[in-house]
This record gives sequence, C-alpha cells and structure tokens, in this order.
Amino acid sequence: MALEKHDKDKENSGGGRPVAEKGEHIVARHLIEDDNIKEEKNLVIDGVDVSGRWNTFIISRVDSDFDRSFFEEIKKTVAGSRINRCWQCGMCTASCTVTPLYRRFNPRAFIYMMQLGNLKELKKYIDVAWRCVGCYKCSQRCPKQVNPAEMMEALALVIKKYFPEEVKTKLKLDEEVKKIYEDMIIGHGRLDLAKLHTSAMQKSGRTKELLGKIERDTIFKMAKDGRAFSILRLGKPHNWSRSKEAIENYLRKLNTIENGEAGV
Amino acid sequence: MSENILVIGGGPAGLNAAVMLSELGVNVALVERDSFLGGNPKKFKYKFLFPDMQPADNVIGELIKKAESGGNIKVYYSSEVSDFKENGKKFDAVIKSASGSETKTFDSVIVATGFEHFDPARDAKYSYQLFDDVIDIKDLERMMGENNFVRPSNGKPPKKVAFILCVGSRDRHVGNQYCSRVCCTVSVKQAIEMREHFPDCEAYIFYMDIRTYGFFEDLYWKAMEEHDVQIVKGRIAEITSGPDNTVVCKGEDTLLRGPFEIPFDMVVLASGMEGGPQSPEISSKLGIELDEHGFLKPENVTLSPFKSNKPGVFLAGACTGPKAISDSITEGAAAAMNAYTYAVKNR
Repeated sequence: MALEKHDKDKENSGGGRPVAEKGEHIVARHLIEDDNIKEEKNLVIDGVDVSGRWNTFIISRVDSDFDRSFFEEIKKTVAGSRINRCWQCGMCTASCTVTPLYRRFNPRAFIYMMQLGNLKELKKYIDVAWRCVGCYKCSQRCPKQVNPAEMMEALALVIKKYFPEEVKTKLKLDEEVKKIYEDMIIGHGRLDLAKLHTSAMQKSGRTKELLGKIERDTIFKMAKDGRAFSILRLGKPHNWSRSKEAIENYLRKLNTIENGEAGV
Repeated sequence: MSENILVIGGGPAGLNAAVMLSELGVNVALVERDSFLGGNPKKFKYKFLFPDMQPADNVIGELIKKAESGGNIKVYYSSEVSDFKENGKKFDAVIKSASGSETKTFDSVIVATGFEHFDPARDAKYSYQLFDDVIDIKDLERMMGENNFVRPSNGKPPKKVAFILCVGSRDRHVGNQYCSRVCCTVSVKQAIEMREHFPDCEAYIFYMDIRTYGFFEDLYWKAMEEHDVQIVKGRIAEITSGPDNTVVCKGEDTLLRGPFEIPFDMVVLASGMEGGPQSPEISSKLGIELDEHGFLKPENVTLSPFKSNKPGVFLAGACTGPKAISDSITEGAAAAMNAYTYAVKNR
C-alpha cells in the first residue's frame, strides 16, 4: 500500500475541490475536542485520493487507567490530606459561593478528578479552578469533613505545578477583584472581610440579600460583642508604611518582570 | 412460682417481648414512660407500614391489644425505673409512677427503650421550624395519619414536593455517622402514598444513595415505575424562602454537574434515628454499655445482638441501633426467649 502525502494546495492552486476545515463534516462536532480528531488534509493511498474527510479518524475517548500516584501526591499535602474521605455527595458545590457565578467551578467534580488523577479533565478548568474565595461554607457543611475549601488550595498548587504554561496564558485575572484586594491591603494593611463580602454581593447583583436576616444578625452580633469596633480601633498594622513600601516595591518588580517577559 | 421479668419500653420490641413472655406464663412488668403503649409508631401516628403498606394499626394495635388484655402483664404507664440494683443473679428495681413507687425483684430484664427521631432543627441549613412548609417524615406521617395532607403555611394542597434523604444521618457535621436504615424506604413509601392520593402533586427525591435494602427495593422500583417519582442525585445544602410562598432547595445535580435552586411547595426531610437521651440514661442506671453512636451496645453484634454486656439484662429493638419495625418485633421475641432462659436457669 502506497501511502502518499503531498502538498495538494500547491497542485490545486488553480481551483479544484474546496478544502474543508478539520472535522467539519462530523455531525456532533461540538462534542469532540480538536485534539481528538485526526485528519490528513492531503492523503493518497494506493493512488486513491482520500484527502480531508475521507481519512477522518476520532481518537477513542475511553480512559484506560486511573492515575493513583496523583492521588498519593495530593494526599501528602496538608491542604489535600483528606482527599480520601470524599464520597461525592455534592454538598460543597451546592453550598458554594462561587458556583452560581462561574458554573464551571465545581469543587466536587474537581475533587473527583483529583482522586482519579484525571489531569486531562482538570486541564479544561484551569481558567476557573482558582476562583475559590475561601468562604469555607463547604467545609462547614461537608458531611465527611473533607475540607473542600482547602482542597481547592491544593488544586491550585497542583495546576500551577503541572500546567505552568496554561496558567500563564489561560488564567485571566479578574481585574475588579484584584483591585478590591490590592486597594484594601495597600490602603489599610488588612483584609476587611465585611467589605469583601459586600463587594462580592454587589458584583453578583445580590444587593437585596445584603439586608437579609443573616447579614443583619451578623452586624448586630458583631456590634454587640465589640468585634465591629475593635476592627476600627485596630487601625493599620505596626510600622505599616515600611511594609507597604516593601509590598509596592515587590509589585513593581513583578510588573517589570512580567512586562519584560511579554516583551513590552 | 412463676418468673418475674421486667420489660422497659412499650414500643414494638417491648410489646412483643411482653406478650411472648406472658404466653409462657411469666409475670411481666411493662414500664412505659408515656401514658399509652405503642412507642414512636403510636406517638407519631404512623399510618401505613412498609413494605406491604398494611395499616400500622394491624401491627401496633394488635400488639397493644394483646398486651393490655394479657393477664400476666402489668403495665405501668407514665412511669420509669428510678433505681436498679443487682441482687445476686436477680435484680431489684424501683418503678416510679404517678401512683407512687414500687420495689420489686426480677429474674431478668429486657431493655427496649427505642430511639428518638433526629430533630432537623439541629441542622440549621435545612431551615426546619423556620419555614412552615419544611417538615420531616414523622410530621408527614402524622399528617397522612390524620388525613390532613396540606401545606402548613396556607392549608392548601401542595403541587410540588421534595424529599431530602440523609438528614441527620451519615453526616459528621451533625455528629451522626451512621445510616439510619429506614428513612430511604419510608420516604419512598410516603412518595408513593402521596402520588396515590394526590396525583397532581409531583414528587422529587434528592438522594446521595438510595438504601432500600433487601426486598424494600421493590418499593423504590414501584415509586419510579408506577408513580413517576423523580429521583435527583445530590444532597441539599440550603433551604431558603422563594417567590410565591415557596421554599427553595439549593443543591448540586452531581450527575449533570450543575448547581440548582429550585422552588417547592413543601419539603420533607428524611430525618434519621438517634439513641435519644434515654439511651445514656438507661445505660448509667442499669450499668450497661453505650456505643460510640449513642445507642446501647450489644455484647456481640453478630452472635448475640440482643444481649447486653451485663448477664441477665437483654436488649431489643431500636435501642441498639436504627431498625425497621419488623426487626424490632423479631428482636423482642429473641430477647424474650433469652430472658426466659436466664430466669429459669437461675430460679
């Protein structure tokens, strides 16, 4: 069998069959990832032209193994040490603050992918996997005390380790959130959780809930036990101006490096 | 001279034990804390029992009738064992009731103090007692028993009802790690009843696992195949109030990988079983062991699940763990046999 690949585009430059996009004729194209479609644009077998759609091949999507070494790796970390407890009930995702905003952020599914070492699947969620805001609702409600909030931390570290390139290119910073955090740290030297909560709720358009019973009760409770005022009295951390300078220096330096790398 | 045996608790297990001993000619003292016999099934007016949907009265009513008419059984209503001492191989017990205290010597003792329904208010995320339309299986059982199946908030029949499984069970967060065994079957049974009597009302069951063990599986199949009960995989994390006087279940469909917030007219929580305050109380009073789940501990869970660690003191029913009524009745008989043998041997 003579297998022949040749540059058909050059030969047919004067006209001939229009060349289709890779996998274009597959009916349920949206279900198949690009990498899984093998298609030679120009291919001749035994003198028969089987270019394009005539040689399309879809790589099997069946997983052939579970990667347990990955599970072991996660289990050794402090944040991920309870990964073996998870039984996939979904209480974490159901409680999650972030999931209603980013539907693809799903702690339960991420923990499952980590348990099975399915990096291929995890890779698809690099852009959202860092979205945990650390409200710990999931950890409080988890029936098995998996501590999903910290599991998300373990996940972030794993992603950073295994997919450094993707993290650089795909991870988009939410500039608004970044600004809220930065302003708070540089301006006041502390994270004000009440303010963070308020901005998050405003951002998601849930302003009505800001005046809900839980919020009112919390405010009342914090005013009553004095926490609300002690925060005001705390002021900025000791010698804040020097720390602030150091942080600003670091951020400047970081920016220069990043800009340098990007060739700006 | 015939034997004297003390039975503590007048639920299915205690009743059956008392009835069987009475038939053997034993003098039975049946101590019941409530003013009526029948235990939790009577207290919460269970109407139909799984798996064959027979009226609860056929079972519990029958046992009560036998116990109350049996000549050898003396029932102490609204009473308790206030003092308990070993006396050689026998036991001296003080039975305290409204009419005063009575000290008697018994040859052996059967403990059948049963369980308590988990109080869902302890798990705040389910908003039980906060919203009128969030009820639990025992409330629904009572509603059905009283022929009063309506939304507590407005008295109208519901059109869409959610059942939430594993409330107060299999949850470290509330402190109960065990499965309560019967709540799945009870919920499925109630969903069938509801669909039978109110075909306009949709039923959804939110589950993590459906544990309708053994032949109870038939009910689960029936609920889906004959009554179109829809099951959804995922535990509910929050119940909030919704528009038009609804209650919203917030959860994750773990099969479809997506969060949902769905309004329902009524939510039924499948609250589990607990040892209740009576288990540690009886454990310290009688000097028998308590297990890590808050129930009484059998001497050997497999070989002698009806024996306590103290010779002469026997256990029956849900005081040793969550149990179906049929199991309790079986254990009542087993404990009766053992208590009788012990009494005869040490006559």
